[in-house]
Amino acid sequence: MNPLINYKKKPHFLVLAGDGINCEQETKLGFEKAKAKTTIIHINELLDRPKLLRDYQGLAFPGGFSFGDDLGSGQVLALKCKRGLKDELNLFVEKESPIIGICNGFQTLLKLGLLPFPGEKREVGLAPNREGTFQNYWVKLKAPPSKSVCHWTEGIFEGGESCEFELPLRNREGRITLKKGSEDKIYNKLLKNGQIPLQYSDQLRPLAKFQHESIAGLCDPKGLIFGLMPHPEASLFEATHRIHYKNRCKDPDQKAWGQKIFDNIVGHLKRS
Amino acid sequence: MSLLRLEIKPIEETILGENGFLYEEIPFYILDLPSNALPSLANLEEVFGDPVLNDVYIDDYDHFWDKKKPKWVIEVSFKPGVTDNRGLCAKEALNLSSLSCSFAKSGTLYFFFEDHKELKEYANPLIQKAELFSYEDFKKRSRFQHIEKIDEVNFEDLNSEVEVISLDRPLEELVKLSEERCLALNVNEMSFLKDYFNKKDVFEERKAQGLPKNPTDVELEILAQSWSEHCKHKIFKATIKYKEDLSSYEDSNSEHPFKKLGNQKIEGVYQSFIQKSTKDIIEERGITWAKSVFKDNAGIVSFENKVDLCFKVETHNSPSALDPYGGALTGILGVNRDILGAGLGSRPIGNTNVFCLGLPHSLSSSEKKKAPKGLLHPRSILKGVHKGVMDGGNKSGIPTVNGAIHFDRDYAGKPLVFCGTVGVLPKVLADGRDTSLKETQVGDRIFMVGGAIGKDGLHGATFSSLELNESSPTSAVQIGDPLTQKRVTDFLLKARDLGLYSSLTDNGAGGLSSSVGEMAEFTGGATLDLSKCPVKYEGLKAWELMISESQERMTFAVPPSKSLAFKDLGKKYGVSVTDIGYFHDKGALEVFHLKERVAFLDLRLIHDLLPPMKLEALWKGPRKRNEWWKDPNEASQKQFFEEEKVEDILLKLLSSPNIVSKEKWVRQYDHEVLGASHIKPFVGKKGDGPSDSSSLWLYPHGGEESSVIQIGCGLAPKLSLWDPYVMAQYAVDEAVRNVVAHGGNIDQCALLDNFCWPDPVVSEKNQEGLFRCGDLVRASHGLYDITVTYGTPLVSGKDSMKNDFRGLNASGEPLKISVLPTLLVTAFSKSTLEHTVTSDFKNQGDLIYLLGDHGQGLAGSEVSDFFIFEDQEAQKKMEKLPSINLIKNKVLYRAIYKALGRGLIESCHDISEGGLAVALVESAIGGRLGFTLDEVEWLGLSNLIGKLFGEGPGRFVVSIAKENEKEFLSVFKELPHSKLGTVSSLPQVIFKNGHKVVLNQHLDKMIEAYKKGV
Repeated sequence: MNPLINYKKKPHFLVLAGDGINCEQETKLGFEKAKAKTTIIHINELLDRPKLLRDYQGLAFPGGFSFGDDLGSGQVLALKCKRGLKDELNLFVEKESPIIGICNGFQTLLKLGLLPFPGEKREVGLAPNREGTFQNYWVKLKAPPSKSVCHWTEGIFEGGESCEFELPLRNREGRITLKKGSEDKIYNKLLKNGQIPLQYSDQLRPLAKFQHESIAGLCDPKGLIFGLMPHPEASLFEATHRIHYKNRCKDPDQKAWGQKIFDNIVGHLKRS
Repeated sequence: MSLLRLEIKPIEETILGENGFLYEEIPFYILDLPSNALPSLANLEEVFGDPVLNDVYIDDYDHFWDKKKPKWVIEVSFKPGVTDNRGLCAKEALNLSSLSCSFAKSGTLYFFFEDHKELKEYANPLIQKAELFSYEDFKKRSRFQHIEKIDEVNFEDLNSEVEVISLDRPLEELVKLSEERCLALNVNEMSFLKDYFNKKDVFEERKAQGLPKNPTDVELEILAQSWSEHCKHKIFKATIKYKEDLSSYEDSNSEHPFKKLGNQKIEGVYQSFIQKSTKDIIEERGITWAKSVFKDNAGIVSFENKVDLCFKVETHNSPSALDPYGGALTGILGVNRDILGAGLGSRPIGNTNVFCLGLPHSLSSSEKKKAPKGLLHPRSILKGVHKGVMDGGNKSGIPTVNGAIHFDRDYAGKPLVFCGTVGVLPKVLADGRDTSLKETQVGDRIFMVGGAIGKDGLHGATFSSLELNESSPTSAVQIGDPLTQKRVTDFLLKARDLGLYSSLTDNGAGGLSSSVGEMAEFTGGATLDLSKCPVKYEGLKAWELMISESQERMTFAVPPSKSLAFKDLGKKYGVSVTDIGYFHDKGALEVFHLKERVAFLDLRLIHDLLPPMKLEALWKGPRKRNEWWKDPNEASQKQFFEEEKVEDILLKLLSSPNIVSKEKWVRQYDHEVLGASHIKPFVGKKGDGPSDSSSLWLYPHGGEESSVIQIGCGLAPKLSLWDPYVMAQYAVDEAVRNVVAHGGNIDQCALLDNFCWPDPVVSEKNQEGLFRCGDLVRASHGLYDITVTYGTPLVSGKDSMKNDFRGLNASGEPLKISVLPTLLVTAFSKSTLEHTVTSDFKNQGDLIYLLGDHGQGLAGSEVSDFFIFEDQEAQKKMEKLPSINLIKNKVLYRAIYKALGRGLIESCHDISEGGLAVALVESAIGGRLGFTLDEVEWLGLSNLIGKLFGEGPGRFVVSIAKENEKEFLSVFKELPHSKLGTVSSLPQVIFKNGHKVVLNQHLDKMIEAYKKGV
């Protein structure tokens, strides 16, 4: 780290790419619009020099189809990171640096064991949707019944009723599944710890069988590691919102809801 | 080495399928691992398992089924040599986790609890092996202990020597040779080759190179690929003698509606109509934005100041007929590579797809007897091609933004699968090079990048240049590997930005033979060594290496000073990068294999010497369909039109295959990855109103802040029965209309043409060729006339000319099904965020207007497929086609752009299948708002039906705010427009004729019909 640079003023984010990660460009744009310095790094480059991670204040696992999802979503990317990046990742987490995993990145964070309880035995997974196929549609999101500790979503539900909290969902394996037999225990623990920052709000998930299937995102108990299925990076601007009306996007720089997640974490780093 | 079998069982009960056929799907793997270092179960669980989701078994788990035992098991796996992505991934994952695995194969088990369907429902025998067991028998196999050896690729002929093929044989023998080797060369071409190799100077030159007088198999195969219809477009460039015979129409008193072209000789429809149109438009309009047309992998246009765009649409019909999934997947990945290789390398930012398929309904017993034997049902094809396009786009991270599914009986013999991609590229590279120029230099190294070579896709180029029949070679069927291609993409774009290469192209049809052959033209020669190429398995012959169409490969020209950096980058990105030769200016394509020179061909022979084909063409006016599906004794099932039936007609249309919502299919495509999808395929309150075209915002791709491109398509195959001249114009108009409807600017609009034709070469076997060639001339002429008038240049295109099936029907009678002559037109047009608008009604009280005329006539319309007039005179009167007024349309389209820019339009939807009534209801569905249609007067039944359901081109339904009416009318005052009614607050659809209500129904009923799905 260069001691002459004030990282608080302009934190530096690493956005992972390669091996079938697809959303690195728009994820980078989200951080850049939040006035953070952002660099896309190929996974192989990072694994060649794991210490590179020490130069960054934040890390993103973008969406995509890493390793084609062929052995399960996020499965092989998590394996690759475990083999080549484990120590540095742990160090990164210890330093309380924020990490986000979106869609495939969320799946990877779960399989890496970084969510929802770092270092503990795996109890949460993302199973195939009940539709059985890939689905792309927008979902309304709402705050969970208990206040969340997540720094990425701080205050986003405080905009009042008029705010449209909608994001696109695009996945085949996005249904939160808890360890068989302990579902209620785990769900209540997550709720109590404030580890559920986002919930699906409406009946767009008609097939849901359990309350935990309404979880759209999870964070670690410190609120710094955040994984979510919907794609905030695809809703940085009003111009990509599903609802189009005249004059909606007259100002292309007008921020859409997804952008707030990036703004939040950069703000948090600047404050802390 | 020893074999290990493992099965991954979900912990949660996941029963799939419908009642009677319930099953559970379980993936399995067979791994080849070193016997002395077998992994523990914990090792394997780390690689394959997830403690919350599934269990990994390396032993039987019969106990698992204690409640409900399965009755049947189907085991499916790929045949040897077929790309097995899960197997490849398993191997890579094991190696990542330091478990050395030399080979991994994947498969799927289907455990049935009740009955099972036929094997063919679960596997395609061309590429997969499927076995059915009773559960008891399956258990008895002790499959975890007695693991079958992993099959090796089976070679019929182990002789890998290069063969010399004598052409000194009689003509009929030469034709036989062409057929046996799947060369797809005709008698003239074979005898041209015979003469060529008998020339003295050729002989001397070959002798000097140590080559025999006759060509080697490598040389003959290179020529066959390069000369194939697929690569050379011989028919499109043929000299055609066109004749017209409209005498039977000229006798009648009234002026007949057909455009007279007059008998003429045409030096290639491509040169005379398509290329010429673009040239004329560019000259006449002084367009500077058509930057690179017809010469590269894709057309390149310059619509704005920051980035350029390129677009290409391909077809993958023959492979999709045999294996729909693999055919469409390799189709989409293939056209992605066209974009990757366009200019100095472009980034794909959107996919499009259009399927033309046979009717999707279950066949009646009489239809069953007439159905083509041995072919897949259109529904199975739809499922397969849909999954292929889905995996191709989703896994590569390219949004699938626009498309269509078109059904017609005449696609039951050969489906048409169009795959398109739009890409973005910087205008210049960091080193100052113009990205639209490719400049291979003498001395540049030839690099093959991406996958390894196998026997897959041999003869793809020549096979698709022949009709489909029972002996079609199955080696042309392949599965694509999106992961490898994504890695190649990441690598390529990085290498481009670092300036590491001077030129590139994709390895598509014809493999290395085509890619290197084409690139060699620039310097005037190339030498390559096939033995350096990475292979999937040993034992490939030289000619197979040269022409294999193994997927995910690109060919690069790399300056020697940069080849080390190029190789290093490949290593870093996990991409196979191999130096296989160099470019020079010796005027020849030279090939070595195992230190032996196996080909030395004059580039002129490969590219220029082939004399143009000569064809005959005739057009005699509209023709009747060959109703191959029909029992001749069967009566027509069409109903009569009645004024009281307007609701029934509307509901019938809304749920008819060509109009009904395809949302269920489209939602499975990721249409928003890359975060730039502006107008999505489905819009409105509930996201289920159909868009006419989609738009991509260019700002997230490096473009100007307000830049948008609008992408749409059009086709009107049914009208080719009426007049292909008009068919082409309807197709162009629809494509242009679709982009204009949502904000496209007709003055900055480029088009792509994709012709899919039945064989237009007349022969004893193909008498109809004469007429299909006439169709081709008329369609091309129509295309020329409309594009020149609209000023919309064709910047890229493709043709596929042998879309016929020749075989038997289920009753054993001979059957030939030719596709309808089909022209797909893709339009992409510049727009801005200030101009775009969607199709859904926005506010109650808005006024609804029709822009354009009420058309006259129902020929070729959807409604005429189901209904006729009882009054024969009315029927005859309506059996004509609404005319198309090109100049008026162009002025109207410009006015719409102007009105949109001024914010005068709330919604705009083009009128196409189903006519005005369907367009109105679709806008209502999108907005979840009803409307009253009370400003139109109808005089009599035929007038009513014609106005409501006619499909005349050049028309739109728009809604506007009341306060804007005056200004709106001032923009359109000189143009055809009429008020239709009002958007209402109640979700009720009301049609009035004066005071008489002809329809009054809740919108929900329309939604229900529209969303029935296919």
